[in-house]
Amino acid sequence: MTPTQTNIVLSAESLSKVYGEGPLRVEALKPKSFTARAGEVVAILGPSGSGKSTLLTILGLINPPTTGSLRIGPTQVIENGRAVANLDQQRRQQIGFVFQRSNLIPFLNAEENVRLALELDDVPPAQSRTRARTILESLGLGKRLHALPSRLSGGEAQRVAIARALIHKPAIVLADEPTASLDSHRGRQVMELFREAAHAQGAAVLVVTHDHRTLDLVDRILEMEDGVLTEKAYAAPGETSHA
Amino acid sequence: MMDLAVRDIRHDLGRFVLTAVGLGMLLSVVLAMTGIYNGMVVDATVVPDSLGADLWVVQRDSQGPFAESSRVPQRLAERLRAIPGVARTRSYVAFNVQQTTPEGVTRRFMAAGLSWPDDHGDMLPLAQGRALRAPHYELVADASLNLPLGSQFKIGRDAYSVVGVTRGMVSSSGDPMLFVSIADALKIQNDLANEAMRIETEARIGRVKRSSFGRDPASLERAAQSQLPALAPPPVSAVLLDLEPGQDVESVRERLSHWPDITVYTTDEQRALLVRGVIDRARRQIGLFRSLLVIISAIVMGLIVYTMTLDKMHSLALLKLLGARRIVILRLIIEEALLLGLLSFVVALLIGEFMFDLFPRRVLVGDADRLALALVVAGISVAAGVVGLRKALSADPNQVLAS
Repeated sequence: MTPTQTNIVLSAESLSKVYGEGPLRVEALKPKSFTARAGEVVAILGPSGSGKSTLLTILGLINPPTTGSLRIGPTQVIENGRAVANLDQQRRQQIGFVFQRSNLIPFLNAEENVRLALELDDVPPAQSRTRARTILESLGLGKRLHALPSRLSGGEAQRVAIARALIHKPAIVLADEPTASLDSHRGRQVMELFREAAHAQGAAVLVVTHDHRTLDLVDRILEMEDGVLTEKAYAAPGETSHA
Repeated sequence: MMDLAVRDIRHDLGRFVLTAVGLGMLLSVVLAMTGIYNGMVVDATVVPDSLGADLWVVQRDSQGPFAESSRVPQRLAERLRAIPGVARTRSYVAFNVQQTTPEGVTRRFMAAGLSWPDDHGDMLPLAQGRALRAPHYELVADASLNLPLGSQFKIGRDAYSVVGVTRGMVSSSGDPMLFVSIADALKIQNDLANEAMRIETEARIGRVKRSSFGRDPASLERAAQSQLPALAPPPVSAVLLDLEPGQDVESVRERLSHWPDITVYTTDEQRALLVRGVIDRARRQIGLFRSLLVIISAIVMGLIVYTMTLDKMHSLALLKLLGARRIVILRLIIEEALLLGLLSFVVALLIGEFMFDLFPRRVLVGDADRLALALVVAGISVAAGVVGLRKALSADPNQVLAS
C-alpha cells in the first residue's frame, strides 16, 4: 500500500443517532465506529429505512449525531455529538455531494454549476472557470459547458454533478444512489469515474446504493440494517470485492 | 463569486420583466397620485400667483374671492387708489361658465375679468399670441380650452376673438381660465335676456310710481326710456393692490384694517386659503389614496419576492448543503428584490414620462418626488427581500437528500 492509501480521511467513533424520547424513541443509527481511507470507494447497502440516509446526513454534516465523534480530513468536526468546527466551511472544503438526481442549480449552466463549488469558498472566478473547464473537458463535457441543466441528458447532468463534487478536491465524496436513474452502462461509467477520482484525488468515496450491478467496482461494502452498520466485505484498493 | 441573482433573473427573464412591468404600473399610479396632488396645489394657486398682486381686498369677513364668494363695489378700486403707497388697483371678477355646443359637447371654464385699461393681462404666461389690446371682444384662453388663436368664440350674446393662449392657467377646480376685460366679464356675468330686461323695467316703473317721484311725469318718462339704470352697477369679486416699490405691505394693510367694509389678504394668505380650504379634502383624499397604494405595492412586492423565493427553495437548500454562507443567500434574495424594485421604478418613470401629459388635469412630478419614490421602492424592496430571506433561510438541506 502506498502512504496515500493508508491515509484515513474519514474517522467516525461511536456515531449514533436517536430520534424522539420515551416510547417514541427510535435508534436510527446504533453506535458504530468506522474509517475510510483516501482512494477508497465504499458502498453502503441496506433496505429502505435501515438508516442509510441518517448516516449520510451525519457524515454530510447536515444533521448532528446524538453521540460520537467525527474527523474529516485533518479536522475534528464533531466531538461527543457536538460540532467543534464550522460545518458550512467543512462542507465547502472537505465534502463533495452526488445525488440520485443530478441536483444541479437550474439557472446556472454546466460550467457555472461546477464553478459554484469553488466560488462558494472564495476561489477567484478566473481560477474557478479554468478548473471547471478542465474537469468538465476531462469528463467529456467540453462542448456542453454553457448548457443549462434542462438541456443536458441524464448522464451528462450526473457527470456535471460529479465534477462539482470533485472540483474542490474534497476529503470525502458522499454519493446517494448516483446510478439509480442511469442505465447499466452509464451506471458503470459513473462508478468508474468515482474510482478514478478517488485514486487521483486521494478522496474516500462513500456510495449509498441499491445497484448491485456496480459493486464489483467498490473497495469495501458496509451494510446497514435496523440502524446497525456492519462490514460486509473488504477488498484492498485496486482489488475487487464481490458481494 | 458569480452573481447568482442576475443568473436566476436571466434564466426566466420574460417572467421577471413582466412582473416588473406590472409592479411598475402600480408604482406609476403612486407617482401619478403624487403628481396629481402637486398639480392640484399648483392649479389652485396659479391664478393668484400669476396675477401677482401685493394685497387682495375683498368683502368684509369673506375669505374670497377663491375660497368663498366676495362682492365689493366697483368704486372701491377708486377709493383704494387714493391710499398712500398704492401704485395701482385692479378690479377682479371671476365666475364659472358652462356651455353645451350644438354637438352636445359640454365645455366648462372660468372667466376672469382683467381691469382694463390698467391690466391687459401682460403677466399671464402666454404660449401663443398676445395680451388684450382692446377693451372689448378680445380674450386670452388657456390651451386646454382648445380655442385656436385668431378664432371667434361666442360667450353669452357676443363673439370674442382669441388673441392669446396661455398654458397651465386653470382654476382651483382644474377648469381652464379665460380672460377678458372686466367690462366684458361683468357683461357676461350679468347679461339678462330681453324678457328679463322688460320685466325689470316694468318693476322699476312700478317702484317709481309708488315713490314720491311717481307724481313727476318726467321721472316716469326717464324710467320708461331706461335712462335710469335698471340695476346698480354690478359688484366685482375683489380689488387687487399693487404697491409702490419699497412700500411696506403691512403698513398699507394696517391702514386698511380700519375700513369697515373690507378684509385684506396678502397673496400668500390667499394661497393658504386655497390650499387649506378649497382643495384640502381632495388633497387629503389623494394623500390617503397614495399611502394606501404604497402599502398595496409593498404587499404585492412582498408576495412576489416570497413566491420567487418559494420557486427556488430546492436550489437554496442545495446551496446550503454545499456550504454556502448566509451572505450568499442573503445577497441572492435581496439583490433580486432590489433589481425588481429598480426595474419597476424605471417602468413607473417611463409611464409617467409618456402618459402623465395625457391626463386631463395637471400632473406635476418633480425630482424630489422621484427621489422619494425611489427611496420608498428601495425600502419596499428591502422589506420584501427580508420576507423572502426568512423563507430562504428556512430551506432545509435534507430536502436535497430526500428528493
